[in-house]
Amino acid sequence: MITEITEKEYGALNQSEPKLIEFYSKTCGPCKMLSFVLKDISKQKPEFPIYIIDFDENRELKERLGVKGFPTMLFFKEGLEVSRLEGLKQKPAIISAIDALA
Amino acid sequence: MSNTIRYISQDHLITRQNRAEQEFLAAFAAEKPTLAAPKVVVNPYLINPLCALVMFTTPDAVAPTLTVHGKRYERENITHTFKPATEHVLPVLGLYEDFANQVTVSLPDGSSTTLTIVTGKLPEDVCRCLNVQASLDYLGDNIMFLSPAGKNLPVAYDYKGDIRWMLTENTMFDIKRMKNGNIVTGSSRFCHMPYNCTGLVEINLLGKIYKEYRMPGNYHHDHFEMEDGNLLALTQDFSRDTVEDMCVLLDRNTGYILKTWDYRRVLPMSVGGSGSQDAHDWFHNNAVWYDKRTHSLTFSGRHQDAVINLDYETGDLKWIIGDPEGWPQEMVDKYFFKPVGDLTRFDWQYEQHACVVCPDGDVMCFDNGQYRAKVKEKYIENRNNFSRGVRYRINTDKMEIEQVWQYGKERGQEFFSPYICNVEYYGEGHYMIHSGGIGREGGYAAKALGPFLDAQSPNVELRSITVEEKDGVVLYQLETEGNFYRAEKLPLYHDGDNLVLGDGQLIGSLEVTEEFDTVPETEEVFALPPSFHNLLIEEDEDRFVFHGRFEKGTLAMLCLEKEGESHNYFLNTSATWHLAMCSGAFLEKDERDIKIHISKLGLHGVFKIKLIVNDRKFQTGVSICCP
Repeated sequence: MITEITEKEYGALNQSEPKLIEFYSKTCGPCKMLSFVLKDISKQKPEFPIYIIDFDENRELKERLGVKGFPTMLFFKEGLEVSRLEGLKQKPAIISAIDALA
Repeated sequence: MSNTIRYISQDHLITRQNRAEQEFLAAFAAEKPTLAAPKVVVNPYLINPLCALVMFTTPDAVAPTLTVHGKRYERENITHTFKPATEHVLPVLGLYEDFANQVTVSLPDGSSTTLTIVTGKLPEDVCRCLNVQASLDYLGDNIMFLSPAGKNLPVAYDYKGDIRWMLTENTMFDIKRMKNGNIVTGSSRFCHMPYNCTGLVEINLLGKIYKEYRMPGNYHHDHFEMEDGNLLALTQDFSRDTVEDMCVLLDRNTGYILKTWDYRRVLPMSVGGSGSQDAHDWFHNNAVWYDKRTHSLTFSGRHQDAVINLDYETGDLKWIIGDPEGWPQEMVDKYFFKPVGDLTRFDWQYEQHACVVCPDGDVMCFDNGQYRAKVKEKYIENRNNFSRGVRYRINTDKMEIEQVWQYGKERGQEFFSPYICNVEYYGEGHYMIHSGGIGREGGYAAKALGPFLDAQSPNVELRSITVEEKDGVVLYQLETEGNFYRAEKLPLYHDGDNLVLGDGQLIGSLEVTEEFDTVPETEEVFALPPSFHNLLIEEDEDRFVFHGRFEKGTLAMLCLEKEGESHNYFLNTSATWHLAMCSGAFLEKDERDIKIHISKLGLHGVFKIKLIVNDRKFQTGVSICCP
């Protein structure tokens, strides 16, 4: 399931659940491509929560999380960042990072 | 404006040269010209306008002598005697441009013919000599070859600064003469930004390609001929997130990779970074040298300010020359050297190029010196900086290092090159120092690298200065327009075969270009993409290159389709800033212009090329044929 959130909504997320947070920009071709990749992954793993956040409109959060560019994917488990992928990636790399959260 | 797509299908240069050679040899066989009226072909291999072939037959096997007359004096003549034969196909090298060159062929019996070979003007943008201090006594038969660092072309200048050799193909990186007399340099065929080409080409000075050694990870920066003729070449694995961190050994006959050295195995990637380092290009390997004495490999890594040495057999790290600040203490203790001797003269090298191991084990390099510090707070501005050639004496038992020679510090910013360049060791006290990446803005060393400067601006100067020093005395200095990657001093003719007839070969292998496994949902339209995209598709025998213009942030994908099969390649339309640009040959003026190389390896059949732009999939009307 893919949900777009803001930095305010980020604070209300269930911290204990494993999740993927993706920072994207509307002006970024690789981010647009990644949205299709994440859609495919969401079809394969409909229960796994994927949150997308606009890099340009949520600057406080991206600075707090140390996100320097877009697209950037952060993989969380029990409130802690376990891994991150920077740049456009293909499905196997992302699925592998998700599986590592289990 | 109607929507159009440009499509060019051209045989590989080797195929075109093979065809040209077959044609002039067939004409030679049919005409059977004699010495009195020999057959002359100017630029026989299509890419060197300053050369020719003179062909004739003699009843008996004789050894002809060919003389290219100097423009001014007899002393300037270039003369070479060829092996005895009855059918003579003689390379004429070193013609002057835009000139009625006098060329004499003489036989041992005293007979001779003098020909006039007229050459045309060279391309307007060829880089000219601005200043040369040289003598025939010093240079002898040698001329100075400069390999390009941008869209300029490889050229060679004589003692007067006249261009006597050039290629109209933008071959890349170093020009090195092999033991058989041939030249090996980078191919001009684009593969990956910023400057990765398909591989190496082995050519003669007529420009004939004997072999192109294709490499799946492409070629960049440097190569080295081993004693058995095999070639060390710098490369990478594009399936990883990092680049310029591998070396391979190529079989000279087949082009196959025989051995690989991976620096990620022995170096941490996140320490010791130079001012230009990023996570992707963490090492930036720009030189390789094999030292038989220690059976080891020495590599220069610009983005760690480090010259490293690996055991040839095991690939294990043996030592590192560089400023140890910022490296883990256990590595400093094990691999780094402690400076000794006159420390008031000692400087570490920073962002260096072109490491050389001297016969006695000393290590030389071109110390570009960019940033000249390991931490941001201490970085030195280019206008306050210097570049130099340097020679270090290392003691690997005591792990001590002494600076025993340098040239260039005293010249300050005027000789400063933040990128490229090389040094050569000719003998004790006799060196070349090539500062080929000088960029000035408003008279000061520019902040940006040469390829990023506007060379058309009256405020900007791109320069290349090549110096040779013997026993502390400068005996040669060449200053040219433009930036040049490296300099190599060579004679035009050598004692081996200056021309071997027969077909050139395309060997080794390109990569299977990585596909993208997700395809965006789009609407297929039966129209060409808008003309704004300025599409060009260049098809070659073993790959094609797609060029297009896209606004930043466009979703773009190239699709190859035939019935029941498709292959999809993501096009990155983000503006990319390169921290290193050792050759700007492939750089586009407009950052919206992108290009992608797609190897035909792994593709079979005829594919229609389609283009996804945001939510629509367009036709191109172009089909690609893959064997």
